[in-house]
Amino acid sequence: MKPEILGGAEKPASRSFIPLAALCPLLLLAAILLGVADLPVGEVVDVLLGGGSENAQLIIGTIRIPRILTGILAGIHFAVAGALLQTVTRNPLADPTVMGISQGATLAITVFLFFAVYGVNADANTLYALPVAWLPLVGALGGLVAGALIYGLAVSRGLSALRMTLCGIAIGALLHALAMGIIVGWGSARFEIIMQWLAGSLYARGWEHVVFLLPFTIAGLLVLPFLHRSLALLRFEEDVSRSFGLNYRLNFTLVLVVACGLAASAVGVVGPLIFVGLVVPHLAKVLAGRHFAAVLPLTALLGATLVMGADLAGRLLGGAEEIPIGVVTAFAGAPFLLFLLRRYR
Amino acid sequence: MHLKAVDVTVRYAGRCALDAFALDLGLGEIVALIGPNGSGKSTALRALAGLTVPDKGDVVLDRRPVRAWKRRELARRLSFLPQAPLSPDGMSVEQLVRHGRFAHTGLLGGYSMRDREAVAWALESTDLADLSDRDLRALSGGERQRAWIAAALAQEADILLLDEPTSFLDIGHQVEVLELLCRLRRERQVTVVVAIHDLNQAMAIADRIVLLDKGQTLFSGAADGLADSGLIETTFAVNGAFERKPAGPIYFNAHIAT
Repeated sequence: MKPEILGGAEKPASRSFIPLAALCPLLLLAAILLGVADLPVGEVVDVLLGGGSENAQLIIGTIRIPRILTGILAGIHFAVAGALLQTVTRNPLADPTVMGISQGATLAITVFLFFAVYGVNADANTLYALPVAWLPLVGALGGLVAGALIYGLAVSRGLSALRMTLCGIAIGALLHALAMGIIVGWGSARFEIIMQWLAGSLYARGWEHVVFLLPFTIAGLLVLPFLHRSLALLRFEEDVSRSFGLNYRLNFTLVLVVACGLAASAVGVVGPLIFVGLVVPHLAKVLAGRHFAAVLPLTALLGATLVMGADLAGRLLGGAEEIPIGVVTAFAGAPFLLFLLRRYR
Repeated sequence: MHLKAVDVTVRYAGRCALDAFALDLGLGEIVALIGPNGSGKSTALRALAGLTVPDKGDVVLDRRPVRAWKRRELARRLSFLPQAPLSPDGMSVEQLVRHGRFAHTGLLGGYSMRDREAVAWALESTDLADLSDRDLRALSGGERQRAWIAAALAQEADILLLDEPTSFLDIGHQVEVLELLCRLRRERQVTVVVAIHDLNQAMAIADRIVLLDKGQTLFSGAADGLADSGLIETTFAVNGAFERKPAGPIYFNAHIAT
């Protein structure tokens, strides 16, 4: 290991918290103030204080704020789920796809749209009102079912981190292929909504999405402190953590359940923003160094910040045709992943 | 304290890794498991630690099968160190050794004075006090090995199962670890089962030597009997002679054709 990394590891984690904790509200403010609809700052402030024009109230209260909140929650979900999965599978490349979450959600949503739309009207060229309100639930359920399937398969083969990962890759690829098969065979106008969902988007996310996510966020974050020491021990190989006295299977399963709940709910709402779950935990680990206790809080904070920032960038840079947030996070995350490659050399 | 293996048979993919293995451990006894690579030493240790469930037979601690023990209760009695365990990223020596106290602290408990003393003692015993703040990945192979031994010690179990604990160590630290095992037995009445490759070291410290080959127990007894059996030469396919001196342990001198 290089000496400068050691030096970084010895820095107290609080030092990285302070700038981050400052960046987060600044971004939040910017995200509320800036948008496609050009509202003057004064008017936004008026709205926030309970006044302002009806139009401004509508834009801020029912479009921007719920969208930003959805992004924050989804960012926390993906990032924390990624960190949990990377820890228990001891695989630095793990993210919610390892548990088949996004593939399961994709397949469920594809099948759902197929029956809901195609089943009613087989004409491929008419664009019907799509039952978008159901997508979060369908996606989340699809993700959870896939996760349960992979877990069950791994358990039947004597649950271990490696078997879990292999089962996840196999089942995930199968689900993904099925979804792609349906999409390609089906074709036409409905293509677009699935592709948009697949790219990951916060477009038109409202309060109902915040309400959908919030129970998962609260439950997940409340459980995490109790899982802290399990997680610390799950970083060891199974033999070692069991020898130290950990009930490996139970704790492994608990962490997976939390990770799957967080990831599946978020995938349902915003689509597979998988890059967040892959990259953010690494960034948090670099910042936390040896302070393992700081990794998850940093991950949550960074996940929220990254998604919020990426959404703001996507809204501003794309103009009226906004850039999907999945594209922005991938662009922002890819260079960082390359940087990590250097670190792991 | 009574750890006992009865007729323990373990099969991996049809192959018999361990066949009717039996061991009855006495308090403060040191048992050395020897045998060629793949002879079943690690399987025997894993079965004793309750990590491998035998296909036949059972390992019993205080009349209860180890597989029926809660892992945390078992960990307070029995500590197992696998061969060359992987060290997680970003963990210091002291952090690793502290994890050895999990059996005592549990999922939510804090570290008491007693826990801190045990960690300090484990670091001191393995000559790591000066390196306690170093990153595990920044250590040499031998230092890292000692850090893992310290973690197993911090557990303060009365049975210690070690899988080739001296394999990465230089001769100085090998002797240090072996002396540590003898001291633990003497001062704390710790029972030790150790898989080890060096026959002479095994004969120097062990009360009993168990020779395994292809899962079969070929010999179980004191070094004297092993020397008389002629099994070392046949099992390892070496030529050599046992040398007995009036004082000190028996010594096997392997003949190396040059």
